[in-house]
Amino acid sequence: MSNKLRSLLATIAMLGMVLALAAPQVMAAPPAQEPTEEAGMISGFPTTDPNEAKMALEAFNKADKGQPDPAWKGKKLTIAVYSGGQRGPISGPLYFWRNKFEELTGATYDIVEIPFAELREKIFTDLQTGAGTYDILINCSNYYGDYILNDWIIPIDQYFDDPRFPKWDRDSVAPAVARLMQWGDRWYGGNNDHDAQVLYYRRDIIEDPKWQAAFKEEMGYDMPVKMETWEEVLDIAKFFNKKDWNGDGDPDDGITLHLKVGGQGFFHFMALSAPYVVIPYPGDPPTKVTKYHNVYWFDPETMEPLINSPGHVRALEMLLALSKAGPPAMWGWSLGEAWADFLSGNAVMTFSWGDVGSLSQDPTQSVIQGKLGARGIPGTKHPYDREKGQFLDLEKPNMVGNQVGCSWHPVISKFSKEPELAYYFIAWQSTPEINHWNVAYGWTGVDPGTTYDWFPPYGTAKIEEYVAGGYNADDAKAFIGAYQDNFYNYPIFQNYMRIPGTPEMQEIWDVHLSEAVTGQVSPQEALDRTYDDWVRIVEDYGKDTLLKLYQESIGYQP
Amino acid sequence: MYQGKSTLADKIALWVVILIAVSWAIFPFYWAIVTSFKQPGVIMTTPSLIPWLQFTPTLANWNDEFTQRWPEISRALGNSLIVSTGATLVAITLGTMAGYGLARFRFRRWKNKDMTMWFLSQRFLPPMATAIPFFLVMKFLNLLDTQLALILVNATFTMPFAVLTLRDVFKELPKEMEESAWVDGASHFQAFFRIALPLAAPAIAAAAVICFAFSWNEFLFALILTYRNAQPITVVIAGVEHTQGVQFWFVATRLLIAILPPALLALTAQRYIVRGLTFGAVKG
Amino acid sequence: MPERSRVKYLFVLPGIIWVLCFTIFPLLYSLRLAFFQARLGKSETFIWLENFRRALFDDYRFWNSIGVTVFFVACSVICTVSLGLALALLFNRPLRGQRLFRALFTTPLFTAPIALGYLGLTIFHEQVGAVNTALFALGIEHPPAWFSSIWPARIAIVLVDIWQWTPFCFLVLLAGLQSLPDEIYEAAWLDTSSSWDVFRHITLPLLTPVLFTVSILRMVEAFKMLDIPFSMTSGGPGAATQTYSFYIYLTGLRNFNAGYASALAYILLFVMLLISLSFFNRLRQIYE
Repeated sequence: MSNKLRSLLATIAMLGMVLALAAPQVMAAPPAQEPTEEAGMISGFPTTDPNEAKMALEAFNKADKGQPDPAWKGKKLTIAVYSGGQRGPISGPLYFWRNKFEELTGATYDIVEIPFAELREKIFTDLQTGAGTYDILINCSNYYGDYILNDWIIPIDQYFDDPRFPKWDRDSVAPAVARLMQWGDRWYGGNNDHDAQVLYYRRDIIEDPKWQAAFKEEMGYDMPVKMETWEEVLDIAKFFNKKDWNGDGDPDDGITLHLKVGGQGFFHFMALSAPYVVIPYPGDPPTKVTKYHNVYWFDPETMEPLINSPGHVRALEMLLALSKAGPPAMWGWSLGEAWADFLSGNAVMTFSWGDVGSLSQDPTQSVIQGKLGARGIPGTKHPYDREKGQFLDLEKPNMVGNQVGCSWHPVISKFSKEPELAYYFIAWQSTPEINHWNVAYGWTGVDPGTTYDWFPPYGTAKIEEYVAGGYNADDAKAFIGAYQDNFYNYPIFQNYMRIPGTPEMQEIWDVHLSEAVTGQVSPQEALDRTYDDWVRIVEDYGKDTLLKLYQESIGYQP
Repeated sequence: MYQGKSTLADKIALWVVILIAVSWAIFPFYWAIVTSFKQPGVIMTTPSLIPWLQFTPTLANWNDEFTQRWPEISRALGNSLIVSTGATLVAITLGTMAGYGLARFRFRRWKNKDMTMWFLSQRFLPPMATAIPFFLVMKFLNLLDTQLALILVNATFTMPFAVLTLRDVFKELPKEMEESAWVDGASHFQAFFRIALPLAAPAIAAAAVICFAFSWNEFLFALILTYRNAQPITVVIAGVEHTQGVQFWFVATRLLIAILPPALLALTAQRYIVRGLTFGAVKG
Repeated sequence: MPERSRVKYLFVLPGIIWVLCFTIFPLLYSLRLAFFQARLGKSETFIWLENFRRALFDDYRFWNSIGVTVFFVACSVICTVSLGLALALLFNRPLRGQRLFRALFTTPLFTAPIALGYLGLTIFHEQVGAVNTALFALGIEHPPAWFSSIWPARIAIVLVDIWQWTPFCFLVLLAGLQSLPDEIYEAAWLDTSSSWDVFRHITLPLLTPVLFTVSILRMVEAFKMLDIPFSMTSGGPGAATQTYSFYIYLTGLRNFNAGYASALAYILLFVMLLISLSFFNRLRQIYE
C-alpha cells in the first residue's frame, strides 16, 4: 500500500513538474513571436556579414517605397512559405526584410514555414475551408490551375496604378516566367524567384588538358567541352565517375542528382526529357503549338497524356544511364545533399536551379568558387517525332528551353482581410533593387530572371555588381550567361503545366520515376503507370474542363 | 523458475548479452545526444561517436532551439501539454467510470464482456479510417487548428485503453468494502469515490501516463487538424524537413525535448505500465 | 438493491456515448463517401461500388501498399515477439539492477515515432550513419545505400519499428513469465536437466496465452504504421515503403480524393475486422 501510494505521489509530482515547466509557455502561447533581435543585427538586417547588410541597405534605400497607408499601422499579415529556415531558400528573405517592412508600414507579418511535402496540402486546406489563415501564399507556379478553378486568389493588376504601392517593372521579367504570374490577361503573382534548370560543371576539370588527353585516350574522341547533347554529358560523367579527379584520395563522382520521393527530383527528368520530346514547328514561327509540335504533357486535341511516348522513355533511359555515373546513394537524396556533393567538389556535374550558381560563391558551403562552368540544358540529336512516329537524326541538336521548377512567388489569398497591405509587401519585394539583391545572394534561393539580373545585351546588370556581392567574375559570367541563354536564345520552350490537378499528377510521376531509377520497373513500365494515373486524374477532374484550360495555357488554337 | 547454479562462464555470457541488449536499447538516444552537440557541417561529413575525441561538441544547436526557435517550440510544447492533459482527463474520467461499471455491475441486454470487447475493438479501428471524416467534421464545427479538436480526437482514441485497464484493476479489488458501504447507506457514487477510487489510484495514474504519452506522440491527426496555432510538438518535429533536406541536428534536439515529459512520467509509473499497455490482459 | 439497476448505466454510458459519437459518426460518414466520386471542393457523384472495384481490380498501388504493409507486419511481429521473448527469458532471474534495466527498456516506447523516423535517417545514412560505419568496420566494403533500394529501405524501417516495440514485448512477456507458478518448475527440474526441455514443454505452453495476446496487440499496431515511413522515406524509393495507411493519407488528405480514400479506409477496416474476429474468441476468454 505504502508502495502504491509512493508511486502515486511520485507520478503526481512529476506531472506537476512537467506542468510547471511548460506552464509559462502555455501562458505565452498565443502571441508567440519570433525573438526580439539584438545580437546579430546590422542596420536592421538579421545578418552577421557587414558587406551583406551594406548592400541590402543600399538596395532598400534605392527601392521605390510608394506611400504606405497610415491605416496599416499595427496590422499583421501571415505568410505561408515552404520550410527553408531563417537563412534558407525562399523563406530566408522574408525574415531578412521583415524589420524594414515594419519600418515602412508600421505593420508586420508572421512567417509560417511548411515542409515542402505538406505545403500544398496545408495551403489548399486553408483555401478550401475558407479559414483565411494565410494572407500571402508563396506558392509554386503549378498551383494556379486549382486556384483559378476554385477562385481562391485575387488579381493584383487593380493595384498597379495606386500611388500607395511601390512600382515594380513587370516588363523586366523574362517573358517565360512572367507568364507564370498571370492567368488569362490578369496578373496574380508578384516578382520573386525565376526557376529554370541549367547544367553546371567544373570548368577547371573539364578544360584541364590532362583530363582532355585522358578522355581522348579512353573514349577515342576529344572531350566535348561545349556539351551540347545529353549523350556527350553521359560520356563525360561516365569517364570521371569513380576516378579520383579532385585528388583527395577517394574515388569521386561523375554527376550528382537527387530523386528522393517527395524531394522535387522529378524536375530533373522534366528538364532532361524536354529535348527528346518537344520539337519545333517546321514552318514559321517554330514556336507554333500544334498537335505534334511544341507540346510535352498532353495531346492538345484529345487530352491524352504523352508522358509514355517513345521520346519520354528514351529520356528516362538516359536519366538511368546518368544515374549510374554518380553515387548510388543519390536516389535517396534531397536537393541539399545533391548540391552539397557538387559544391564540396566531389562531382564534376549537376543540373539544377540557379541556387547552385549562387551557392557556389558562398565560401562557407562551397570549395568551387572560381571553378564553375555552366550552360543551358543540353539537347539531343535524336528527338522523337510523333507525327512521323520515329526518332529523328538531326545535324544540330534539338534545344529546348525550360522554366522547370516552381518559380516561388507570392499571391494573395481571396480570404485575406488585408489584401492591400499584402500587395504592398509583394510590390515592395518585387522592386528591381530588392529583387536583384535577393538574386545576388545565394542563400535566399531567389534565382535570376529579370533584365536587371542579365548582362547586356539582354539586360542592364554589370559584372562589378556581382563581384561586389562576392562573386568570382568568370563564375558570374558562366552562371548568368547560362540563364540568359535559356531564357532568350533557345529556339523553343517546354510548356509549363499548371492545369488543375498538376501537383497531384507530378507527385505520382515522382513516385514512378523513383521506381524506374531504383530498378523496380523498366522506364517504359514506369511511364505507362504514370500514363494510367494521369488518365484517371484527368477523368476525375473532367476531361473537357481540363482540355480547355490546357489549350489556353499552352497557346494551342484548335 | 530457473536453476540456481550457474558457472562463471554462464554469468559472463549472461552479462555480455545483457550489455548488448542494453546498448541496443539506449544507442539511438546516445546517437541523438551526440548528434545534437555536433556542428551541422560535421554531421554530414565524418562519422563520429565520441565528443572531444572525434569532434568538438558545440552548444549551437541547443542554443538555436532555445532562442531563435523557442517561440515555435514552446508554443508547440504548450499545445502538446494542453492537448495531452485534456485528452487524458477526459479519457481517464470516463474510462474510470466505465471500467468500474463493467467490473462491478452485471448488465443483461448487452453483456459485460460484449461491452468490454466493444471497447477493445476500438483499438482495432485504424485511425486512417476516420481521419477524413474527422477533418470534415472539424471543418464543419469550425474547430480546425484548435486544441479542442485534438483533445476530442485523442480522448476518443485513448479511452479504450483506460476502460480496459481499469476494469481489470477494479475487478481485482475486494468488493466487500464497497458492499458494506452500500449497506451503511452510501450511494454507489459515494462508494465509488470514497473506497474504490483511492484504492485504484496508482493504477489510474499509470493508465493516465499511458494516455498522456499516446496523445503526446500522436502525429497523424495533429498533422491533419492543425496548421498553425494548435500545432503540437510532433508536427514541429516534422518541420525539420527543410527543402534542402532534413536538418539532422534539430531532429536530435527535438527528439530529446519531446521525449522528456512522457518518459519522466513513465519512469515514475513504471510498475503499472505493462498492465496498462496490454489492457490488463497480462498482469504486470 | 433497486438503485443499482439504473445507476450502473450512469457509470458506463458516458464513456460508451463519447466513443460512439466520435467514431460511429465519422465511420458512417466515410461509408457514405466511399460510394461517391468525391474530391473536396467539387460536386459529388454517386458511383455505386466503383471505388471498391477500382481499388481491388484496377489499382496496383493498392496491392503494392498491401504487400508492403503485410511485410512490415510480419517482420515486425515475428522479430519483436521473439526478441522480446529471448530477453524476457534472460532477465527472468534475480538480477542486480533488474529495475534499472526495465526502466531503460521502457523509454523507446515513449519516443515519438515521427522523430524516430528522422533520427533513422542519420543512423542509416549511407556515408556517416552509425550502421554503415559499423558495417564498414566489420569489413563490409560496400554497405548498402539504405534509402535508394527497395529491400534495404524496407529493412531500415522494420529495424526502427523493432527497436521501438521490442521493449514492449519484453516487458509484457517478462511479466507473463514472472506470473508462472514456481512449483511446476521445481517438479520439472526433477525430471530433466535440459533447459530446452523445460522451456519447450513447460514454459512455452504456459506462456502461450501471453504470447498470443502480445502478438495480436503488436499486429494491430503494426497494421496502422504510418509515422516512420512518413518521416524516413516518404514511402520511397518509388512506392517501396508506402504502407497502406500512408497510401490512404496521400489519396485522401494530400490529394483530396476523399471518396476513393474512404473506400480504401473501409477495405482496411474490413481486413482488420476479419483478423480481429478470428482472435476475438480467445480475447473473450480473457475478459470473461
